[in-house]
This record gives sequence, structure tokens and C-alpha cells, in this order.
Amino acid sequence: MHGTKFTRRSFLLASSALGISVLAAPLAALPAAAPVTPQLIEAAKKEGKIVWYTSVDLPLAQKVAQAFEAKYPGVSVRVERTGAERVFQRIGQEYSAKIHAVDAVNSSDAAHLLVWKREGILAPYVTEDMAKNYPPEHVDPDGMFASFRATLSPIAYNTKLVDAGEAPKSFKDLLDPKWSGKLVKSHPGYSGSTLTATFQTARDLGWSYFEALSKQKVMQVQSATEPPKKLSLGERAVAVDGVEYVFLQLIEKGNPIAIVYPSEGTPLVVGPSAIFKNAPNPNAARLFHSFLFSRECQQLIVDAGGLRSFHKEVKDKEGRTPLAKIKLMKEDAEAVEKQVEEIKSKYTRLFKV
Amino acid sequence: MTTIAAPLPRGRPRGIDLSRPVMLGLAAVLCVLIVLPVSQLAWHAVVDRDGAPTLENFRRLWSDPAFVEPMLTTLTLATSVSVACCVVAAPIGWLVARTDLPFTGVVRALVMASFVTPPFLGAVAWEILAAPNSGLLNQWYRSLTGAGTDEYLVNVYSMGGLIFVIACYTFPYVFVLVSNALDRIPSDLEDASAILGGRTWRTAARITIPLALPALLAGGLVAFLQAMILFGSPAILALPAGFHTMTTKIWSLFQYPPKPGLAAAAALPLLLITIVLLRGQQWLMGRRGYTVVGGRSGRPRPTALGLLRWPALGLCLAVLACSVFLPYGALVKTAFSRVPSQPVSFDNLTLQHVRFVLFEFSGTRLALQNTFLLGVLSATLGTGLALVVAYLSGRRAVPGHRTLAFLATAPVSIPGIVLGVGLFLSYTRPPFVLYGTLWILLIAYITIELPAAYQQLQSALKAVHPELEEASRILGATRLQALGHVTAPLLRSGVIAAWCFVFIGTMRELSAAIMLFTADTKVISVVIFDLNESGDLGAISVLGIAMLLITFAVVLLVNRIPGLGGWRPARPGG
Amino acid sequence: MASVELAGLTKRYGALAVVDRVGLRIEHGQLVCLLGPSGCGKTTTLRLIAGFIEPSEGEVRVGDRLVSSAGWAMEPQKRNMSMIFQSYALWPHMTVAGNVAYGLELRRLDRETIRRKVQAMLATTRMDAYADRYPADLSGGQQQRVALARALVVEPETLLLDEPLSNLDTNLREEMRFEVRRLHDEYRYTTVYVTHDQAEAMTTADQIVVMNAGRIEQAGPPEEIYYRPRSEFVAQFIGGTNILRGKGLDGRHLSFAGRALRCSGADVPAGGTIAVSIRHHDIRLLAAPPPGAENVLEARIARQVFLGSVRDYLVEVADGTQLRVVAPAEHSIESGSPVWLHLPPERCRALAG
Ligand SMILES: Nc1ncnc2c1ncn2[C@@H]1O[C@H](COP(=O)(O)OP(=O)(O)OP(=O)(O)O)[C@@H](O)[C@H]1O
Ligand SMILES: [Mg+2]
Repeated sequence: MHGTKFTRRSFLLASSALGISVLAAPLAALPAAAPVTPQLIEAAKKEGKIVWYTSVDLPLAQKVAQAFEAKYPGVSVRVERTGAERVFQRIGQEYSAKIHAVDAVNSSDAAHLLVWKREGILAPYVTEDMAKNYPPEHVDPDGMFASFRATLSPIAYNTKLVDAGEAPKSFKDLLDPKWSGKLVKSHPGYSGSTLTATFQTARDLGWSYFEALSKQKVMQVQSATEPPKKLSLGERAVAVDGVEYVFLQLIEKGNPIAIVYPSEGTPLVVGPSAIFKNAPNPNAARLFHSFLFSRECQQLIVDAGGLRSFHKEVKDKEGRTPLAKIKLMKEDAEAVEKQVEEIKSKYTRLFKV
Repeated sequence: MTTIAAPLPRGRPRGIDLSRPVMLGLAAVLCVLIVLPVSQLAWHAVVDRDGAPTLENFRRLWSDPAFVEPMLTTLTLATSVSVACCVVAAPIGWLVARTDLPFTGVVRALVMASFVTPPFLGAVAWEILAAPNSGLLNQWYRSLTGAGTDEYLVNVYSMGGLIFVIACYTFPYVFVLVSNALDRIPSDLEDASAILGGRTWRTAARITIPLALPALLAGGLVAFLQAMILFGSPAILALPAGFHTMTTKIWSLFQYPPKPGLAAAAALPLLLITIVLLRGQQWLMGRRGYTVVGGRSGRPRPTALGLLRWPALGLCLAVLACSVFLPYGALVKTAFSRVPSQPVSFDNLTLQHVRFVLFEFSGTRLALQNTFLLGVLSATLGTGLALVVAYLSGRRAVPGHRTLAFLATAPVSIPGIVLGVGLFLSYTRPPFVLYGTLWILLIAYITIELPAAYQQLQSALKAVHPELEEASRILGATRLQALGHVTAPLLRSGVIAAWCFVFIGTMRELSAAIMLFTADTKVISVVIFDLNESGDLGAISVLGIAMLLITFAVVLLVNRIPGLGGWRPARPGG
Repeated sequence: MASVELAGLTKRYGALAVVDRVGLRIEHGQLVCLLGPSGCGKTTTLRLIAGFIEPSEGEVRVGDRLVSSAGWAMEPQKRNMSMIFQSYALWPHMTVAGNVAYGLELRRLDRETIRRKVQAMLATTRMDAYADRYPADLSGGQQQRVALARALVVEPETLLLDEPLSNLDTNLREEMRFEVRRLHDEYRYTTVYVTHDQAEAMTTADQIVVMNAGRIEQAGPPEEIYYRPRSEFVAQFIGGTNILRGKGLDGRHLSFAGRALRCSGADVPAGGTIAVSIRHHDIRLLAAPPPGAENVLEARIARQVFLGSVRDYLVEVADGTQLRVVAPAEHSIESGSPVWLHLPPERCRALAG
């Protein structure tokens, strides 16, 4: 394990040189934080690339990749973007075939990280930012992953097609017959955000809500990034779900979309990131991981991406409703993981797809 | 050992008889290509996770409405597409092949263009055109008629829409078969009817069309099978419409946690239907003496359409508008628009998608490279394999040639997605670990395209009378020399056609690739599919157009290879 | 030089013997015609000689070389033979000159020699004006001559022709018959010529081999085959004949239509039923009974047809048997008239078996 040795040595070197003993973890179990050292950058440059599987919207993922490439010339990022459930399926497929193609992963379904951690295929890596600037509950106690991003799964509508007064205020409002044939919704079989949101909504409102919703002639799309796009095209008037950050991006580009945070509470979707033990480019993976959690990158995904960040130094963008002012549904990745199959099969039975 | 060598057994040929090793080698290759994945499927369908035999998968298949409904949907879909294709393609085929329709060259080229279009790209284009609210056609309809915001003219997210879009890109199969058959009907047969007093239209109705019927039937069958096993278009259109077809259902079984056994069981009905249909066709064709088609005669005498020429051309162009003009118009517009659903204007004009696809999106280059490489390799190897098999079986050169021929046509009955599953099951564990490499995609493409290439070359070889080869051999040529001097040059156009066919097929293929790709082995079709999943229509349009340009460029290039067209194929003598 | 000898030659497809124990010796320089109805195995025999297929049993020898035996055949290209195919098999992608030159090129002759030989051969076959044409642009007769030129230019020891004239019109066919014979006489190779046209066989062959259902019925010079057919099949197939059936009286006579007929040929066993063949034009028609002549029968004209140089009568004898008689055209005898038939004893050939 050439890579491991190298890092341990560089880590020792770095910590002794800089004397950052302050970094002694607040939680006893959390591995010590690793800074970005010139050696790490050098080693990453030697590897020259990093493969990132992510479910974040493709243009945003590319922006992150470009920012990284600009900061560390010589290391290129290959973005593999699909829905979180397919990311998960593919990593499963690949690992079962002993194919180690992926370096770093980011999923909108936090439950996936729990599975991978249990399977022992993740590498622990705590960046300086994670240790210093993240609330402890958003960093895995073993340092296997941390919350790279968060977003909500609100309701939204096309302001050209729906008047503000008419717009739904809650999930229950969507069951009004006047919305029949006007709704668009993504699929928990493909999208991690939607799976998480489905879990939370079903838990809080009961499956009867989905049963009633399924009679509303909903247009079913795959990814949670797609309902916002269908909304902006004017293909449907109201999006039942869909990730907040794409809505925000489109609103800020001038699309006629408005977000509604439903009165029952808005599902919160946390998207953790991790790197793999058998990453083909281990050093580049670490460097990239450090970059993802840096203030710079976090501010980028908030500003340009419309995502929510747990980084203490990151500022919310003007004009967006701060997280604190929104009633949230409670996140519970462990429960999601236990119910994945049940959620999907119930959903498929109701919506027929 | 000093004395004379042991006498050779009398009558044994000297030197090594190569036919047996060749035969065995080929049989082994074909078995690996076809038998291995299929047997893996069959095996996984009847065992549970621990390897104990079970029929649970099949029980679920027949009892669970989540499977029965997609099956019925698929059958309805395939039947409708098949009928629609025949209804559209037969008249166009006849107009092009047998009448004095103007601009037949253009019509043929446009049909080719719709053939080259990947069905999933067509589906995306029709989303842009005919989504009920944002679709361009519906917007025009509303602005023209002043209809309310909820009203629409066409809805692509529906069974009807799906049938329409699939038919748009399936009818070329029927067209090619029908127009080729019509091209080959000797004009004396029509003349014979004319001399008996049959008028133009009557002759067409009583002689020409019945003689082309078997080709139409075969075309209808091909259309049925294509529609049944298609994955991309249903995945794009059926899901929003709220229903599954068998292929999308099988695909969904690979969501976490994957159920390969159930997927394998679900794949078997498709296999069975295909086999039954192909058998049925053989039986039907075998019964009637339709082999008349193929006599010797001069150019067919075109039927004069008179005043109907222009309306007939209009009809052809209307059909082609659906498969070529409108979709490509929509793609081009989307490629250069900020918001695809808004009208063309300077404000809305942008190069951002082009820039994104070509310079920002890190997956483009690799996918283009992979697709091109795989296309060329599959076309070359697939055509080569098909050629050898076609020769050995056509000339009965080795014992067991029938088996070879059967194996080479068998993949017709394996839907791409099913083959994908089978290959995945076969090549993810020792002794063959190919998953994650381009090889597995290469194998998939070759297997999928083998029947088409084989069929093409087999009929090309049929046109080369064996006596042409024998004439060369009796004058002193060895088998190989005869092949090189006579058969190969005569087959050249057939080989090139087969090569292009496989190449285009590879570019169009999505269903097996979607099961088999990994990050390093992505192909364009998969990239487009992924982009569609997140609704990035602009990027899809740019990629789709790029892909078509590449396809056209390669096909043109291959057809321009010097030395072609130097002779007119002819069958001297009888 | 090279005679061709077939011994017990048999070819089976499945259980069916398509060629059945054929034994034949062809002397060098002879032209032998294989004559027989369609499907009798002529082509198969020829292809056995050429080595395209292996015999199931028996042997083929050329000179004293064994070239085929059960399950084995020396490759065709090593036999120094040429063949003209039923379809001509001209290569459509080569010009006339290219087709003819091909065999010489395989023999690695130098360019000049090839040119000269091709020129000469095209002149012999009167095709020199068409050297640069492609086969598709030639008429049937021209194609046939190119095939001939291509086969002959390599100066084979053995020439095999498979119904080479069957696609030509009558005039051209007659002309080409003599052409084939002329070229044969000029080059003196051993020729095996397959045809189902007896006139073609008669005019060209030194020896005729009549085949039926895979077997040789009779082999011999044309006259012998014609005048002394040994079986009903041969008699019927060559030239057309009347077959009279009756009971044998003694060694030389049979009883037919109430008369005793004297005949020649095989012995007529007393008491057994026997067939006698007499050719149409060997029967003489008489208006009145000739006094005291033997072999005279009474008959009536059933119908007559004028054929230009002759008249073709159908007559009916006492027992109702109908016979065909060809008589000079000058005198016409009306239908229904009584006539007397004279059957010269030396023309009445009793057939064996
Ligand atoms: N490869 C084969 N397999 C099975 N049967 C065959 C094969 N080749 C020939 N036959 C059969 O053998 C018989 C003799 O065929 P052959 O071609 O020798 O006839 P032929 O005398 O040349 O007839 P024709 O005058 O029509 O050319 C036919 O009944 C034919 O069907
Ligand atoms: Mg024959």
C-alpha cells in the first residue's frame, strides 16, 4: 500500500512542521485532520486525475471540477453524474466485479454512505475544514464521510402558469383536483433526494398522502434535478418535489419559478461525500476531498449552485430564505437505509412506474 | 526410422485439413458470444440467491401485476408499431421502387437518415416537440388557435406518443425490405399481367403488391421485434407517461437492491416470443412459392402516377417530416437556445451548450473516443466473423455449418437489455472478468449486430453463384485464391454495406450499453441517456448532432474507398 | 496421355444414390457425351470428375493417377482440367480478356505470353472485338464463347462441359455444337460433355453415355446407341420409337396384334412378354397390302400432321395400339383411311429386360 505509507509520512511531516496539535479532535474517536501539504499536491499531480461519481446536477458538478482544476492545475476531474440510486447501483456492480474505478463519491442519499461504510470500502479522511468548521453531527465519527451539501425538497410552481394566490401552500394542497394533470415529480427509484424526501413525507404524512397523490395524473420523471427543468420549460405548472438548489439556480437565471416551503415541513436532503479505500488515484482523491469541504468550494456550491452548506464560514446568498427560517422535516439516514426496498416497492405499486 | 515413411492411408488428403479446426474455433467463439450469456440468464432465473433451484421468479412474473401489465403494454406497443410501420412504409417503398415518383433519391436518403437516427435521440427530440405543454408543436397550436393553456394537440408522454415515436425510427426497416423486394420483382411478371389486359393500378394491386407481401411480412416482424426490445424510447417517454414496458421494467430491477434472477426470468418471455415469431415466419414463407422474386430481367418499368406524382411526394415528405425534419429542427433549435421551449430569437440564442459539451463537460471526449473505437472495431470484427460464417454455411464448406448459421442468427431473439444482463452475469466473475473494460461492450455489440451482418452477407453471397468460385478453382486456384480473386471482390459492396450497418447499429445501441458501461467505458448513447435523466436538453442536442455527423462522415468515407463502383453487379447466364 | 476412368463411382446424398456404380473409360482425345433426363446425375458425375465433391464409393483415375476415391478427392486445381459451367460462371468484375487471362496468370506465365495467348484464343472463338467488355454486356452466345475461351486457353488435359449450350437459341446452338467439336479436334483434349439434348450428343460425341437415375443405361458410339438401343429407356430417349409388346413365339418371332412379327436384336424367349422397338421412320405406310410380305399389319390413320419435310402419322392397329409413323410429305393419306404397315424385320429390335 504505497499510497497509505506515503500519506502517513507526509501527514507526520506536515503536522510536526506546522505544529497543528490544536487539531486534536473534539471527538475522541475522530481521526486526526489532514492538511493539504505540498507533498500531497505533488503526489496528486503525479496521478493526474480523479474520478468523481456524483448525483449533483451536472453543470454544477462541472463548475466544482473546474474550480478544482484551476486551483490545482495538472489534476483533471472526471465527473460521472447520474441519479444517486444509479450511482449506488453502479458502485455496487463495479465493486462486485472487483473494478475500482471510482475515487470519490457524493450521493444525495445519506443511507448509501452507511452501506459503504459497513462494507468497509471507504477510506477515513478528515480534512482540516471538517474538523474546524463543521458541526460534529455532520462528520462521521470514524471520519469516513461528511456532509458535503444539503438541499431541500420543496414544492415549486411556474409563476406564469400559477398565480401566487392560487399556489399550493402545503403538500396536502396538492391533492386538490385542480392540480390533476399539472404536477411533475421525480422518482425514488432513481433519485436519492427523492428517496429521502419520500421517506420523510411518508413518515410525517402517512402513505395515504402518496396514495391520493398518485391519482392526480402526475408526470413522473427520474432525477430530482428534472422537475425544476420541466417547470421552467412550462411543461407542468407545479413540481411536487425536486431539489431546491436547481430551483434556486433557475430562479436566479430569471426563470419564472417560485418555491413554496410547505407548511407540513420541508424534507431535508443531506448529501455526504467520501473517498474510497481502493481509489485508483488515492492522493488526488484526498486532495479533491479537502477541496470539496473548503470554504472556497462550499461558497461556490452555495452561490452558483444554490445548495445549502454546513460550513461555518459560508454565507447564505442574498434573497434566499435562510435554513433557520424554514420548518424542516427530520433527517434519518439509518431509517431510510432500513426501508429502501419497502419505500420503492410501495411507491411503484402506487405510481405504476 | 530410416526406411520409407509409413504409407499415408489411402485416399487421405495430404497436409492438414483446416476445416475442422476452423469450424470448432468458430463454434467456440459463437458459443462464448451467445450461449454463455443466455445460459447464465437461464441459470439465474431458476436459482435463488443461495444457488438452490426455485421457480419463485417465474411465479412472481405471472402473478404480480407489476410484471403482467408491462408485458401486455409491450405486446400492444410492438403490435401497433408493427402495423403502423407497414402502413407507412409499404406505400413509400412502392412509390420509390416502382413508380415515376420525383426525387426518389432524396426520399431514399432521408429514409436512411431516419434509420441512422438513434431511437432515443428521436425520443428526446419529440419530447421537445410534443410535450403536452412545453412542446413546440403544442405551443404553436395554442398560439394559432388561441386554445387555453391546458389544451394540447399532441402528447408524446402517452402510449400513442410512444408508438408514434418508435414507429418513426422503425419504419425504415420495413421500407428497405419492401423496396428491395419490389426492386427485384422481374418486370416481365408485371408485363404478363399488362398483356392480359390488366391496367396499371390493377397490375400493381394484383401482381406487384402480392409478390412483395412476404417482404412486407418480414418487415412487419422486424418492426415488431425492434419495438419489443427497444429500451431507450420507452425509458424516456413511458416513465413520464406512467407506465413500464418489459425493457424498462427489467432495467428497474437493477435498482438497489438488484434482482438479477427476476430480471433474467422477466427476460425469458421476450426471448420466447421472438423465437416463436421467427419460426412462424419461416413456416409461413416456406409454404408459398415466393422465391420467384429474383428472376432475370431488365429495369422494372415504373408505374406512371400521372397527376398524383406530387401529392405522392408530399405524402413521403410528410412522413419524413416526422422522422427527420421536425426532430432535427427541434434538436438544432435546442442546441442553440437558452430555453428550448421559447421561440427562436436573438435573446434566446446561445453557444453555451456547445461550449459546455465540447469544452466543459469532462465526459464528452472519452465517450466520443470510446464510441468511435467501439464502432469501428465492432463493425470490422463483426463483419469479419459474419463473413466467415456466411461463407462456411453458404458453401456448406464444413460439417455442422447449419449449427453455425443458427448460432449466428440466434442473437436476433435476444433483446439488448437481456443480453446486457446475461453478459453482466457472465463476465463479472472468473474465468472471464471483462466488466469494466471496453471488451465487454465490444462483445455485446458484435453479438447484437451479428445477425444483421450475417443476413446481409449471406444474401450477398447467394448472389455469387458457387460456380464462379469453382470456375476459378478448376483453372488452378486454391480455395483461398478463389476467395481472394473472385468471391471477395464480388462481395465487396455487400461487405461494406454490412460494415456500415454494424457501425450505425453500434452508434444507436443503448440497451446493452446501459447495463455494461462503467466510468471508463462510457459511450455517447449512455451519456445522452444520463443527460436526459437530468433534463439537460441543450447538451443532448449538441451531442446528438455531433454523433450523427460522425456517423454520416464515417459511412460516407467508407463508401468512398477507392475501387468501388468499378463494375456493375450482374448475373451472367441463368 | 490422359484417359479418364471411372470405376464403381457412387455418390450418395443421405440414402439416395445420385450417382450409382458408374463405370466408364474414356480414351485420351475422345469426346464423350453424358446424356440423360434432368436430375439423372449428369452434373454430379461431372463434378465428381472435376473433384468438387468426393465420391461415396469408387474411384476416378486420370491417366494412371488416382484422383478421387471414397471420401477423398484431389483438389480441383491440381487436376489440369477445365470446366464450362451450366451458368458459364463468368466473373462479372473482370473484362472478357481478364476472364480469359485468369488461368494463365495462375500459372505464372509472363505478361507477354499471356497477352499473346489470350489474343489468339479470343480470335479462335471470334471474341477478339469484345476483349474489354464486361460479361454483363454480352449476349448469351458471346458469354458462352468467352467461357469456352477461358476454359481452353489453359490447354487442359481434360475439358468438362456442363450443358454449355442450353441457354442458347436453336440456330446459335447448332453453330456452337460444331464449334465445340472443331475446337476439340483442334486441341485433342479429353472432353466430357453433359447434355440432355440427344441431337447435341449425336452431332458432337465420339461416344454417348446414356444415364438414367444415376446409372449408365448404355454406352457406345452414336450409331450403335441409335440403331441398337439395348433398353426401352435408351430407345425412347434417343430419337423416339414405337414400343410393341407381345408374347414370344420362338427365338425370332413374337405375336403382336394377331400377327407374328420377326425381329432382330436380343433373343425372344418363347412364352414370355417381350418389347420390340421400331423407330417412327422405319415403318413403311402402304395403301394396299403387299402380297406375301412378312411383318405386315393392318391399321387405320388416327390423325396426321404436316411437318414440312415429312408427315407425322398416328395409326391404330387391330388391337387398338397406336403407333407413330413418319413418312415422306408428298402423299397425304386422309384420317380414317385404312393402311398397311410394313415393319422390316431388321429394324424391329427386341429389347433385353
Ligand atoms: N448437394 C446435394 N444434396 C442433395 N441432393 C443433391 C445434391 N446435389 C444434387 N442432388 C440431387 O442429385 C440428383 C442429380 O443431380 P444432378 O445435378 O447431377 O442432375 P443433372 O443430371 O445434372 O440434372 P439437370 O439436367 O437438371 O442439370 C438430383 O435429384 C438432385 O436433386
Ligand atoms: Mg446439371
